[in-house]
Amino acid sequence: MTAIHLENLSKSFGSFTALKDMNLEIADGEFVALLGPSGCGKSTTMNMISGLLDPSEGSIRFGDRDMRGVPMGKRGVGFVFQNYAIFTHMSVYDNLAYGLKATGVARSERDRRVKDMAEFLHLTPMLNKPSAGLSVNILQRLAIGRSAIMEPAIFLLDEPLSNVDAAFRAVMRTELKHLQRQFRQTMVYVTHDQLEAMTMADRIAVMDHGKLLQVGTPIDVYNNPSNVFVAGFLGSPGMNLLPGRTIAAPAGLCADLGSFGISAPLPVAGLSEDRAIVYGFRPEHCELTSGEGIRLPVTFVERIGARTILHMGNKETSLRGVFDNDVPVRTGENVTLSIDPANIRLFDAKTGDALTEAR
Amino acid sequence: MTAAAIDTSPTPIEHEDVRDSRKLGFWLTLPAQLLVLFIAVFPILMQVYISLTDWSPLDGIDWWQAHQLWNSFANYTDLLDDDRFWSALGRTALVMAICVPCEFLLGLGLAILFVDNFPGRRFLYSVLLVPMMVVPAVAGYMFFMLFQSGGPVNDLLSFFAGSPVRIAWLSDPNLALFAVIVSDVWQWTPLMFLILLAGLVGVPEDQLRAATLLGASWTTRFVTIVLPRMKTIIIIALAIRVIENFKVFDNFYIMTGGGPGVATETISIYIYKVTQQELIWGYVAAVALVILITLSIVSAYAIKRMSQSRETSQ
Repeated sequence: MTAIHLENLSKSFGSFTALKDMNLEIADGEFVALLGPSGCGKSTTMNMISGLLDPSEGSIRFGDRDMRGVPMGKRGVGFVFQNYAIFTHMSVYDNLAYGLKATGVARSERDRRVKDMAEFLHLTPMLNKPSAGLSVNILQRLAIGRSAIMEPAIFLLDEPLSNVDAAFRAVMRTELKHLQRQFRQTMVYVTHDQLEAMTMADRIAVMDHGKLLQVGTPIDVYNNPSNVFVAGFLGSPGMNLLPGRTIAAPAGLCADLGSFGISAPLPVAGLSEDRAIVYGFRPEHCELTSGEGIRLPVTFVERIGARTILHMGNKETSLRGVFDNDVPVRTGENVTLSIDPANIRLFDAKTGDALTEAR
Repeated sequence: MTAAAIDTSPTPIEHEDVRDSRKLGFWLTLPAQLLVLFIAVFPILMQVYISLTDWSPLDGIDWWQAHQLWNSFANYTDLLDDDRFWSALGRTALVMAICVPCEFLLGLGLAILFVDNFPGRRFLYSVLLVPMMVVPAVAGYMFFMLFQSGGPVNDLLSFFAGSPVRIAWLSDPNLALFAVIVSDVWQWTPLMFLILLAGLVGVPEDQLRAATLLGASWTTRFVTIVLPRMKTIIIIALAIRVIENFKVFDNFYIMTGGGPGVATETISIYIYKVTQQELIWGYVAAVALVILITLSIVSAYAIKRMSQSRETSQ
């Protein structure tokens, strides 16, 4: 078990910068998810931790050990591949024993550890079976077991659930989290699926275009996104983001949202007048009201069973709201939304950075 | 040649439409079947027939009258006592035992080099494949020239030795065998290389990385991941070369004519000489038939092994 320190980590391939100036501290035994769309640099980060790629700049330390120049076989890193990379020409036993054999662990010791690991992962009944043709959840356990048997300080998982269908993914998520609790290892999990990151990780690191944007607990990142990208990327649907300007009104500083009207007084003090901002709120935080609020037309009503999603707005700006499934609204009607000021998030229109913090 | 390897699949349940379509299929394929009959089955039957006689084109009777010279199995019993046949067969086996492993190891080595990218890889790749494209007879002439006593090989050796070297490569029995083996290895290593490279490229990258992360050295990875993954393709490559090498003729015949004496006489050259020079066709037919059957058994065994390894590797 080891903490991972990434300092000013950068990686470029020719003129393309895959990762820029990343700083991240991962505590001993922590489960951190690197979350972002494809091409955001998360896999590059993971490959540098595993030793497959050398950083262009910056350093990686495991505990006190600088990893510069340490080959991947000697880092003590367990890696679970997207497709598990099981040695399908070997039996389950030989897969589990592979690393111990390769590093010259004595036969009796090897046999004992393989049996223990098989017992722990419920693989004992299939130990002597060929590993080809096993079901996905067994392959996942085998892939984890094969790495875990080497007692690596760090476990890296590269989108291990992306080849699994949606229903099964839920089962696997639970199992994976369960395994991590048992192993108590430092785990870094790469995914583009926010649900996986939210449900499993102790902390989420959201990345985009080679930059680390925000690190925090799932709830914190969800509730207080540090910029517009994180706000829009997390949540399904993501946060509604309306361009607007601050305007002085009798009740206090409000946001002028153009054709949608004027918002209720803003919850952030100290903003100057006539400043370009982005006005954000989560789709589940708006309510229909007959009183004051922002007015806008409904463009589409999406009924998904448990909830109903209203698509609202105009060509330039569309927003969504999540309501009860029997919400009495039809396409083309105008609605008025009221939003609790506590749930409003403001961002700078130019930099995209958040202008609020949780209070 | 591979008739022994064809599986007889279980007969499906007969329905009327199946019977009908089968009848139609019979008529549609009849011309092709007749053709096969004439180009494959007929000559073999003819060969079996002649192999049981003393017939020769010089006898003045046509081949279908060869039964007048019927000698039962005398040709086959003669074969058992024919020292030249057995030594040619033994020599063919020796050539194979040297050529095929050399070509395999060189081809594998080259494939390992070429699996990673390096500057000039594409160019060298094309260059490496050139020998395979050369007509074997032309390759034979090339090596015939190279191994002349005043030829480039001796010139090169002279350069390193510092004094003139005049080795009579093609007229010394042992050196002649060496020279023809060199020509075969030169010509067919590229094929091995090509097949083995295809196999090597097909080894999953992730599995190699996984093995590396588990602490396996290059050698361990090669033995435990690469070779088992390439098993099928290695068997195919070896089978192709064994069968081809058994029939080796062109470059050997041009370089040495099987000589000096019979020092490089392989089974194909032996058959050719007995047919063309001694004209005892009945006997040759028997020899050729024995070899055909032997090769069929070997290739059937190889194909069986291939399909078995395919089942286990999946």
